[in-house]
Order: sequence, then C-alpha cells, then structure tokens
Amino acid sequence: MSTTDAASGEGRSLPLPKPKGRIQLQEYALVGVVALILIVGAILEPDSFLTSDNMLNVLRQASVVGVLAIGMTFVIATGGIDLSVGSMVACAAVAGGQLAESGSMAFVLGALAMGLVLGGINASAIAFGRVVPFIATLAMFTMARGLALWLSDKTPVSLFSLDGVRWFGNGEVIGIPSAAIVFLAITAFAWVLLNRTRYGRYVVATGGNREAARIAGVKVPWIVFSVYVITGICAAIAAILVSGRLASASPIIGNLYELDAIAAVVIGGSALQGGRATIVGTFLGVITFALIFNLLTLMDLAVEIQQITKGLIILAAVLVQRKER
Amino acid sequence: MSIKHIAGALSLSLALGLAACGGDDSSSSDAGDNQSKPTSGSSATKTDGPVKIAFSAPGADHGWMAAITENARDEAEKLGDVELQAAEGVTDSAAQADQVETLLAGKPDALVILPNEPDALMPVAQKAMAAGIPVIDIDREFTEQGAFRSLITGDNYGIGYQAGNYFADQLKCSGNVVEIQGIAGIPVTEQRSQGFSDALKRKCQDGVKIVASQPADFVPDKGLSVMENILQAQKDIDAVYTHDDDMAEGVVSAIQNAGREDEMFLTGAGGSKAAMDQIKKGGLYRATFLYNPSMSASAIRMARKIVRGEGFEDLTEPEVPQKITVPATTVTKENVDDVQELGF
Repeated sequence: MSTTDAASGEGRSLPLPKPKGRIQLQEYALVGVVALILIVGAILEPDSFLTSDNMLNVLRQASVVGVLAIGMTFVIATGGIDLSVGSMVACAAVAGGQLAESGSMAFVLGALAMGLVLGGINASAIAFGRVVPFIATLAMFTMARGLALWLSDKTPVSLFSLDGVRWFGNGEVIGIPSAAIVFLAITAFAWVLLNRTRYGRYVVATGGNREAARIAGVKVPWIVFSVYVITGICAAIAAILVSGRLASASPIIGNLYELDAIAAVVIGGSALQGGRATIVGTFLGVITFALIFNLLTLMDLAVEIQQITKGLIILAAVLVQRKER
Repeated sequence: MSIKHIAGALSLSLALGLAACGGDDSSSSDAGDNQSKPTSGSSATKTDGPVKIAFSAPGADHGWMAAITENARDEAEKLGDVELQAAEGVTDSAAQADQVETLLAGKPDALVILPNEPDALMPVAQKAMAAGIPVIDIDREFTEQGAFRSLITGDNYGIGYQAGNYFADQLKCSGNVVEIQGIAGIPVTEQRSQGFSDALKRKCQDGVKIVASQPADFVPDKGLSVMENILQAQKDIDAVYTHDDDMAEGVVSAIQNAGREDEMFLTGAGGSKAAMDQIKKGGLYRATFLYNPSMSASAIRMARKIVRGEGFEDLTEPEVPQKITVPATTVTKENVDDVQELGF
C-alpha cells in the first residue's frame, strides 16, 4: 500500500501510511497461529505446557530475541537488514563484563556504550558511506564477534555477584519476569514510535519510496542512520537480559540471533523490501517462535523432527497470511 | 600475535612462490636455514637447524578450540628448536584447505592439523604426505591411513562411557537423567551420546531413564534456554549429563535460576578451569570428563620427533606411534587437584 501512496503523495505533505487493512489482517492471522499452538500444546503436554509458570518462562525466553526483533523491525521498515545483532550482543556483553568489577551499573553502561558505538559504525557506513546494509552489517557480524573474543581473551566473565544485572535475568515484578517487562515496555514504546510519531512515518516512508520521501523533505540519510543505532542499542539491551540469565558475560553467545530476529519480523508481516512494518506482528512472530521452541523441547522430540516441524510451521504461518489478503 | 603469524606465512609463501616462478624452488631469501633440508621422502630426517612446523586449526571461537591453538603455540616456544607457523580463524573447511595450501607453500618440515571436517581436508593432507611432509592429525581422524603419519585424539566414546558408569554409581542405578548434547549430527556428539547410553544400559539395564535428550550446540545461551524448557517438562530430575563445560555453564544457570540445584547433580565434559573450580567447591557441578586440549602440545612434540627421526624414550620402538588416544579421565572433587593444571 505505502509504495503507491508514497509515490502519489509526492510534492504534497508527507504520505502517512497507517497500520490498516492488510497489516491488521496479517496480525489477526498470526493470533490464530499462536492460539492454535496453545491449543495443540495443551492437548499434547497437558501437565506442563499451558501452566502460568511455563508461559512466563516462554515470555522470558522470548525477551532476548524479542528486543532484537523490535529493533530489526525499524531496520527492515527502511528496506535494510542488520546481520550483526547476534555478534553485537556478544560484544556488548563482553564490554559490560570488562567493567563488572565496578558493579551492575558499570556493566549496564559498558554494554550500552558498546552497542551504541557498534550500531553507530554500521549506521555511518550505511547512511553516509553508502555501503549496502547486507555487506556493512556482514562486516560487523565478524568484527563484533572478533572484538568480543579479543576483549574477553576468549573466556567468560562471571557476573554471579552482580545482583543488579542478574535481576534482569531472574527478577520479577508482581510475578512477571523482569526480562519480559523490559521486552513488553520496549514493544509498547516502539509501537508508539512507529505508528504515532512523525519519525515512525518517516522510517516507513524511507523504505516505501526513498525518492518520494526525499522530495517530501525527509532527511533520508539521518533516518537510515537512526535505525542502525536503534539495533545497536537493542543488541546491548538483549545482552544485558541474556547475561543476567546466564550470570556470565560470554563471547560465544548470540549465535544466529540475527536470523531468529529477521524471521520473527517477516512472519509478523513486515515486508523485507521495506515500506511496511508492524510492531504487533513482530511481537506475535517472536511469541510464535518461542512457543514452538518451548513445545518441541517439552515434547523431547528428536532434533531432526523439531527442525522439520519448525520449518513447516513457519511456512504454514506465512501461507495462512497470504490467504487472508 | 596471530596477525603477525599469518602475515609471516603469507609473505614467506609469496617469496617462495616468486622463487618457484624463477625456476628454482630450493632457494629463497626468506627460508634461510631451511635450504639444507631434504624436500621429499617421508623418512627423511633433519638433525640440525630448527624444525619448521605448520599448524592449522578451525576458528578459536570456543574455549576448547582456543586452548588447542594456544597450547600448540606455547609448546613450540618451550621446545626452543621449533619454528611454528600457526594459522587459525577459518570457520569452514574450504577456507581451511586454502589456508593449509598456503602453509604448505612455505615448505614446512611437518604439518599439524585439526581438520574442521576430516573428509574435506583429506585431499590436502594427502598432498602434504605425498610431498614428504609428515601430517600429524589432531582430534578428528582422517579415514584414509595414507593421509596422516600420526594421529592423536581424545576419546569421545570414552567420555560418554565413563560418564555412564559415573551416573550408574552415583544414582545406584535408579533415577531420571537429562542429557544436553552438543551439535546434532556430528561424530563428537553421537559418540558422547552413544557411550553414555551404552554404559547405562550395560550397568543398570533400564534402571536409569534418560527422560530428555536435546542438543544445545556447545554454547551457554542455548544450554540455558533448552534447560529452562526441560525444567518445565520434567518435575523429577536426578542428574544432568552435558557434552561440554562451556555449554554446561548455561545449564547450571538455568537450574540455579529455577532454584532446583539441590534436587540434582550435573557433569560437564572437556575440562575447563571454570568447571574444575566449581567441582572443587562442591555442589551442583560434580564431575567433568577430560578431553584435553593438551593433545595439541603433544602433537607438536610428535611432529618434532618425527622430523628428527626419533621415537619416545619409554617405548621400545624407535619411531613415534601411529595412533595415540588420550584417556577420558573422570575428574571429581577427589582428583581435581592432580589435573587442574591441564584445565583450559
């Protein structure tokens, strides 16, 4: 929708794509998929699947890739991609780990600073260096991992005594895991940012039709710059969450998180070519993957069966959405 | 350090390549003291000058693999008369094959290699052997005998088997066990898993039940998530067998986060320092089974002996043996002090 809208909006005020029509249908379709998994799970694993304890466990597990996927939604909305988020998670965790002796706050600040710097490098290369996102973030994919191994001397740092950091992994607020609260808060914030602010409309417009956006007065390079900074910050937040759960800052974590995040965004209904993005869809995509992983592990299926099943569910979820259009 | 080595290897091979273009491949300004060495014939020995060893291992992104490369470097330095050209950092087999080709162009006296995948690296190993460069194969065995002069490997099946025996004793042949595997579908994982279930079967028949068995790819964050889910499904767990010490850290966190550390015990594999520290302290982490990266240091020693034409002093044979298997020692609180210096 936004592609043609954006083109016709040329010269006037900026086109304002709103979440409507097709996107909402897709979101509903994914609600159906989630409901189906819940029902099937309740039948197959009646004792352990649909318990509040396990559902909170799923939410806590989903939070790490979830935060990454929310950031990735902004990147994908501009028609870009960020392959480096998994490596940046490891690097941010290690950067925080270097400061672990100075306490939890130092860890958090160290991780955030590293996320900001790495995201900033991606952003500069893509927005101003005109490197295609796939290549720029592929370079960061290996650099950030190398930096993580180098800084850590290839050994994890224990965070066992940092209660503040561990709270992000284990803590609870009125019975809800703190990691899940962070994830939900970021999701809500991102929804407002994408759907209710001028910035969000600019992001989508940049992905829909870059030239039209530029003519309409959007500072396209800065919009592109900003979304890669967002994924850098999200990587740092994800690093804090996963390190809190692990009680250690390890340089080998985060492997393939980028694929999980991208997959969640895409089955959520955002378009890989940009111009169409949905935070609710991404949230449901993340939950879908977390539920599948949880249920298949609970059932203790052989790994090969798990992989085939997971692939089939992804394919089915996308096909269901297509039918609804 | 590694950049210097790789750059050195590159410039050396470049120099040799140029020399070869000139039609005289036995002289090179960089090779210096190697000119007197015989360039072919695997039985050729070299008694004077340093032994030039080329070393190749996959990317050191894992504690164990990092220790492999580090131990090789340290040992070469300690021996004094060994000149090591180490190349690392590749993650796929084709890249490693290219890397080895580059190393071989430098005409080393021996090649020490930990192949990413034995089948894919076999051609280049055979090529080295044909050129009279003895190949010392670490950890993953080339299926063709002709592809290596000597093999040193750990005992993956032995890790599983020893773990199985340990669990049978500790649990007195009754209880529920969870197995957290490595990467699905590779020999290391299959052997560690097979040995475990074989030993349990043999000692306890069906007394000890493996109630869940899932791969977590040797990484701590996956170990954490997988164990969190298993803890949801299994309300009664007596022990957890994990295939790797690094990965086990995540499994330990999952159990502690759930507050169930008094219900069960856990074992690792490999022999990391962190694991040994926890075993010493007592509690959840009760044992690990050595799969010692010191084997790369031994491989450097073997390479040196082979090039020098020597055997091991305590063996009657005048040559280095063809195959050496490092035992999978069980490390518990009782003997952890004896093996701690091997920890990585």
